[in-house]
Amino acid sequence: MSSAISPRSARTEAGIDRRSLMVGSAAGLLVAGLPLAAAADTPPDLAQLIARVTEGAIPERVRIRLEIPALAENGNSVDTRIVVDSPMTPADHVRWIHLIAEKNPFPDMARFHLGPRAGRADVATTLRIAQSQKVVALASLSDGRFVMTDADIVVTLSACIDGG
Amino acid sequence: MSFNARITLPAQAKAGEIVEIRVLTRHPMDRGGQSDGKGGTVPRKILNRLTATYAGEPIFRFDMHTGVSANPFVSFTTRAVETGDIVFEWREDGGAIYTRTARLTVT
Repeated sequence: MSSAISPRSARTEAGIDRRSLMVGSAAGLLVAGLPLAAAADTPPDLAQLIARVTEGAIPERVRIRLEIPALAENGNSVDTRIVVDSPMTPADHVRWIHLIAEKNPFPDMARFHLGPRAGRADVATTLRIAQSQKVVALASLSDGRFVMTDADIVVTLSACIDGG
Repeated sequence: MSFNARITLPAQAKAGEIVEIRVLTRHPMDRGGQSDGKGGTVPRKILNRLTATYAGEPIFRFDMHTGVSANPFVSFTTRAVETGDIVFEWREDGGAIYTRTARLTVT
């Protein structure tokens, strides 16, 4: 193993032994169990993306609505609307709304920064969706809590195909 | 120039009324990474931010990444408070800035 670029890239001589496999899988279960328990039907990758945006806080599934077609012929431009049920007062308003598409090459799609002057938390845009997947809308409220919702979308002609 | 914007908002509103502002922008939003046919790749060139100020006060900011479509559309709302200019400013990858202004008359 003298040719290895770094010690970490060196392959172990006898492959993975049973002990390290057991320890590794136990640790994996522990890590995967935390976000999974929090957001029941959310895939672990997505839970991780959400946790990164909320800095570990667990969003509630209330007060937010994501309007996105269930089937899109063309993933290059998908009309999307997000509405959060909020009085939008200085004391209680939406700070921002974040959109995540787990299977896009760059999962963070967009973020809308709002404030009490918006009057309503109601925004719309056109998104690029790489393939059929779950799209998540996540909102940060002024009291520090987060709310989220998700929607499944089927994309017939996907965006992000090279030369497409 | 490949940039153009169409801003739609009511010409006038009553004080306190919530108005919807719709912005349709013409821009290719090149996400980058495609082959340029010469062995290299096309660099990313998107509008990465839209900010809106109303009578000098920031009211809305839209951070865009590659997940926003070409010719992006965005709509948002604001409460009419006084007659003034709503200034839209886009920031493009590479540092270019585009600005458009719309006037809201409050009765």
